[in-house]
Amino acid sequence: MNRIWAIAKNTHREAIRDRVLYSLLFFACVMLVASLVTEEITIGDQEKIMRGTAMGAISLFSSVIAMFLGVSLVYKELERKTIYTIAAKPIPRWMFVMGKYFGLLLTLAVNLGIMALLYLVIMGLRLGMPHPSLLAFLALLFVELMLLTAWATLFSTYSGPTTASAFTLAVFVIGHLADDIWSFGQQAESPWVQRLSEFLYWALPNFEIFNVQPEATHELAIGWARVATATGYGLAYSTVVLIAAVVVFQQRDFK
Amino acid sequence: MTGAQPIAAPDLAIEIRGLQKTYYSGFFRRPSRGLESLDLEVPKGEIFGFIGPNGAGKTTTIKCLVGLQYPTAGHAFLLGQPIGSPEARRPLGFLPERPYFYQHLTAREFLDFYGQLFDIPAALRRQRTDALLARVDLERVADKPLHTYSKGMLQRAGVAQALINDPQLIILDEPMSGLDPLGRMLIRDLMLEEGRRGRTVFFSSHVLSDVQSICHRVGLIAGGRLRAIGSIDELLSEQVQHVDCTVRVPPQVPLLGEAVTSRGDERIVRLPPEQLDDLLVQVRQAGGQVVQVIPNRKTLEDLLLSELGRNDPTTPPGVSP
Repeated sequence: MNRIWAIAKNTHREAIRDRVLYSLLFFACVMLVASLVTEEITIGDQEKIMRGTAMGAISLFSSVIAMFLGVSLVYKELERKTIYTIAAKPIPRWMFVMGKYFGLLLTLAVNLGIMALLYLVIMGLRLGMPHPSLLAFLALLFVELMLLTAWATLFSTYSGPTTASAFTLAVFVIGHLADDIWSFGQQAESPWVQRLSEFLYWALPNFEIFNVQPEATHELAIGWARVATATGYGLAYSTVVLIAAVVVFQQRDFK
Repeated sequence: MTGAQPIAAPDLAIEIRGLQKTYYSGFFRRPSRGLESLDLEVPKGEIFGFIGPNGAGKTTTIKCLVGLQYPTAGHAFLLGQPIGSPEARRPLGFLPERPYFYQHLTAREFLDFYGQLFDIPAALRRQRTDALLARVDLERVADKPLHTYSKGMLQRAGVAQALINDPQLIILDEPMSGLDPLGRMLIRDLMLEEGRRGRTVFFSSHVLSDVQSICHRVGLIAGGRLRAIGSIDELLSEQVQHVDCTVRVPPQVPLLGEAVTSRGDERIVRLPPEQLDDLLVQVRQAGGQVVQVIPNRKTLEDLLLSELGRNDPTTPPGVSP
């Protein structure tokens, strides 16, 4: 565990010394502050629109940062050949992949923490104490980021950042359309289309399962059963994707 | 790796048996051989130089040994452990060719990080980091990020990371590449020091004079095959190959041997050692003067060139005649 933690800390240290990360974080904070402006330009339900805009900004920028850092997570090590000295140490390759993954999660958790803190300050000053559903929103957003990062890590183990970005973005978009794929299949007359849509629904990740933003925006209660189910789904799916990433990485020759 | 795993010899630091590596490239996955059934033994405590032209298979061999690439066939052991297992890499120190490191780290953080990968306790890591930084002369810049380092400084940092676990076996791929004479001397001295401490040092190099001056034994690889192996004395005869003689005689006087250069009355001629006496007589008769006589023995470079000139891939490896 110490060795995984060493790689995770190094990955986190590398990310927080990357200026691009600060740029993204800066824009996320600007968007959060800008959510205050929505109060001035909307009629009725201003509080909900403020909360919705701010949560949307947190969700969007967290996902962008996860994809941005995740797609080059392993590839950068291969491209810069820093892997040469690491892989020649008594480190099994699975430990390296897990270390990189946990390091990125650590960075994402810190970013999410900063954005959440800013949200609390802004909304706290304007709207008072936040509703507990905010906690469920943040927790499930982090589980979603875990799954997204796992996919980005998998693509990063065998392809360059451009291809990995395209694949990860595709998974992200399709994952948010999972319910639509199911509905489309149910409405189709052909049994083949129905089966295909069912297969796609179950095979591809369903990112909508983590989406509790509408409830959190309207300050509705979110049951713990729902949070636990989505968390279990996210953890199980992430594990499977990470195992695939380890298997791919295990086969690689470093040229 | 194929077949039943053979038993490793206990007195060998590196043992390679029939190692092959085939690469596949292009749309039709055309095969090309990186290594052709390589056999090599390096006893413990030896400084071993691995030489050969570009593309000979030196780096491929090293990458297979340290776990960066998987061999297509054959077996190899590092200090009795089969390559590929993390345990085989525990007593290993490795410096890749043209090393790339985490640019955001300082040299101190960098060494500490690599120490953690060996599970070295924090206090011992600090102690070794300080000692190694002093040994490679990077103490003054230890807290500056690596992206501010020159190539020579990075190479020295690379050598330091290769020694952080106090390895029994040190494998260095082109450690002298691109270094100035001072940098080369520092790396050479480090290798000799590790050799004196009973460590096995295996390194590849293009700088043949360094190989010749510090190695107990040398292996020559070309076309993915071992072409020659032995001690410097075994590989290079003490016999003088030719003599370079600098003489001062009038330009119209003909001399024995092959003229290398001439400037005014001064000429350098190259001739077989048995013709030297006749040349000296010629110079004396012409009223000239002998300025310098340099006997040239066979060097590793001559060996390399003669082996490369032999375009016979079926030549069995062994001590050169």
